[in-house]
Amino acid sequence: MTLVATRPGTGEARPYTFPEIRRVSVGGGTVIAAHLPGQLLASAILMLDAGAAHEADGREGTATVLAKSLEEGTKARDSAAYALALEGLGAELSPSVDWDSFRVGVSAPVPLLLDAVRLAAEAIRTPRLDATDVLRVRDDEVTALRMDWAQPGPRADATLRADLFGTGRYGRPLHGDPASVAAVTVDDVLAFHQAWLLRPGVLLVAGDLDTLDLAALGEAAFGGTAGEAHTGEGPLLWSVRDHRRVILVDRPGSVQSTLRLGHRSPERATPDYVPMTLAATVLGGAFTSRLNHLIREVKGYTYGIRGSYAMSRRFGRFEVAAGVQTAVTVPAIVDTLGEIDRTQLDGVTEDELAVARSWRAGQLSVEMQTPGAIVGALSTLVLHGLPDDYYPSLRKQYLEATVEQVSAAAAAQLHPKGLTLVVEGDAAAIRDELVAANIGDVLDAEI
Amino acid sequence: MVSADRSSPVVCVNLWYDVGSRHEPAGQTGFAHLFEHLMFEGSVHVKKTEHMRLVQGNGGSLNATTNPDRTNYFETMPSEHLELALWLEADRMGGLVPALTQETLDNQREVVKNERRQRYENVPYGDAWLRLLELLYPPGHPYHHATIGSMEDLNAASLDTFKAFHQQYYAPNNCVLTVAGDAEAQTVFALAEKYFGALAPVAGIPPAPHGHLTGPATTPARETVTAAVPAPRIYLSHRTHPFGTRGYDAVTVLATILGNGRGSRLYQRLADGKRIAQPDYIGSYGVDLAHAAAPLIITATAKDGVDVAELEEGLAEVVGSLVTEPVTDDELSRAKALLTTAWWRSLSTVGGRADTLGRYATQFGDPATVAYRLPQWLAVTADDVTEAAAYALKPESRVTLTYLPEEKPEENA
Repeated sequence: MTLVATRPGTGEARPYTFPEIRRVSVGGGTVIAAHLPGQLLASAILMLDAGAAHEADGREGTATVLAKSLEEGTKARDSAAYALALEGLGAELSPSVDWDSFRVGVSAPVPLLLDAVRLAAEAIRTPRLDATDVLRVRDDEVTALRMDWAQPGPRADATLRADLFGTGRYGRPLHGDPASVAAVTVDDVLAFHQAWLLRPGVLLVAGDLDTLDLAALGEAAFGGTAGEAHTGEGPLLWSVRDHRRVILVDRPGSVQSTLRLGHRSPERATPDYVPMTLAATVLGGAFTSRLNHLIREVKGYTYGIRGSYAMSRRFGRFEVAAGVQTAVTVPAIVDTLGEIDRTQLDGVTEDELAVARSWRAGQLSVEMQTPGAIVGALSTLVLHGLPDDYYPSLRKQYLEATVEQVSAAAAAQLHPKGLTLVVEGDAAAIRDELVAANIGDVLDAEI
Repeated sequence: MVSADRSSPVVCVNLWYDVGSRHEPAGQTGFAHLFEHLMFEGSVHVKKTEHMRLVQGNGGSLNATTNPDRTNYFETMPSEHLELALWLEADRMGGLVPALTQETLDNQREVVKNERRQRYENVPYGDAWLRLLELLYPPGHPYHHATIGSMEDLNAASLDTFKAFHQQYYAPNNCVLTVAGDAEAQTVFALAEKYFGALAPVAGIPPAPHGHLTGPATTPARETVTAAVPAPRIYLSHRTHPFGTRGYDAVTVLATILGNGRGSRLYQRLADGKRIAQPDYIGSYGVDLAHAAAPLIITATAKDGVDVAELEEGLAEVVGSLVTEPVTDDELSRAKALLTTAWWRSLSTVGGRADTLGRYATQFGDPATVAYRLPQWLAVTADDVTEAAAYALKPESRVTLTYLPEEKPEENA
């Protein structure tokens, strides 16, 4: 045999560090920066307390329409000139809206970052927002949502969200739906801009700080702003139902069924964050997770299945997501429920947890190589009020978590008997079998 | 090859095998990709499921991809696990066949069929790439069929075929091993010798069928698909030049001028301007294939109420403008600035760097040629772009693929 039979051991690990973090207060705002010596590119994010949660009922998607209107010209130049100026730096804006924040990211070669941030600020602080442009962007967004909703997934996601979060903003899709976006008015967009995009916010920067001028970047980002930071509300009240419910979203002729199984869970600040994350990694996070192993590698029902907790400032939810071949929809659901049940009842094993611990800890290095990744990590610190030494401490917590802690989190935070199971697929082909399987009451989605 | 970079405590191990779907004979479409799946299912010293567990269980990320040209495998690990990654890769290069079982093949065949459903069959416009290839390349050409393969061929795949496939192509003399990141070159070379050094080369690896084409197509091709899609969409495509040539560098700059970003001609004239195309779904890009003239793809989706003929006319007009209206200095410098950022971004991870080096060593025989790509883009002139457009984007060489929504029965209000 020409191959080496013995698996090699581990070399010497370098101590884990997160890049040095610097802060500068300027113009009423704060710049928080991570030093990445020698990097040719730099990234910045202007983060504002202007998340989708501020949107009015029935007008969900207002912030997204605003985000997409920012590049339709500024007080200083029209949209074509703006595009040329920004892209001439090799930069593009990436505006995004989530539940808790409104972000505009930009990256560029280090010597050009200041100009890129100036242009980003010009669009954010002084957009033209002509009524005809806003209406056109809104109509385009309605069309774009219809395009998106023609894919498998978005209707299932919206159905699960509505069932878990009920009426009110959190029960509606993050970016709204075609009807709510169509209802957005020019005044809604202008008012949202006035209320939330003129406050200083926080500028996050990752790059070579020996070259970047943080004060100048801050002046560019915060010039002409005023107002206080928004004080966020506390977590939403929540509970989990005592019975399961199946909701069928019809997608005639679909060759796969899209599964979204979920229930509510604690918000990001929960002390169980680490053991919950590890429990979900064992159940459905890693490639060798219980779910992926059984549903993909043993049964061949799917290309992939994932289970995870998503946690924002005010709420959390557990979800399992997969696309499974239509003919095996029910067996795939039954097997999935079996693995969730087993994890909740019996917890995790040391072997499985060892993989989850090392993977989560290692990913803190592997997934944090670029300015874009580091600036994203800074935004997590700011959003959730975490300390500068958070990542080294998180790594330690992952590595030290015990089977007992993780099993206890699985026992407390998995609720297989209270799951909502959304199945988006060919109803004519799967309804009878779903009803007969007696998983829970089968309802039809109103979507 | 080793590219040392100590800025993060991570290292990427990347292998390019010079075998892709272009090597597949008729009746065996999808085999190179299905084989890629089998490479994760164990080898002589690595039990089934152990490969993934050892990489993720030591903090790493891993994946593999297959395309018409080649198959690559890569893992980025905390650097103390470099030796483990090399051992795993050597074991599946030299010792896969004894571990291959019918059960594994049957399971991964189902996984791949699900991948086909998920990525190509169950999404609107999902089969566009499969259709474009057949329209762009003649039957028998190595790029005529798509890498995912046909369900029929996948169903017919036998275990012996895959054993032979591995013995034929998964040889050290058909592979480039690249390590980038937190490692010293001499250490890596010594470890490579230790784990791969005794693997025997395979003599007489057959080349892929010939991909030579005499130039762009001489008659246009057109296909119209009526399907469950939310809006009419058009793909225009042309065969251009092979990736890595001076001509393709001009096409890369051309594609950026034409369809990358809000400042591009397509966006400015059809999404803004005439406002007949949806702004989120318009653009153009080259597919970087190296073994025959690579495709340029131009796509736009109609806005509500816009007739598809009007959209096609608009697209043809903008594409034609690349020949009739010289590219301005502003357009050229915008494109070069975007390409510069994209280039450095693609090299900003150890994974991106290793993959790029592996590509240049495999396809051009010399990793140092990687240093020429960005300067060659930056050297492209307005005349080069016009010349590339005049050569490759003629209406008579055009493939036009149009998707139309199915007629819906009247809905009650």
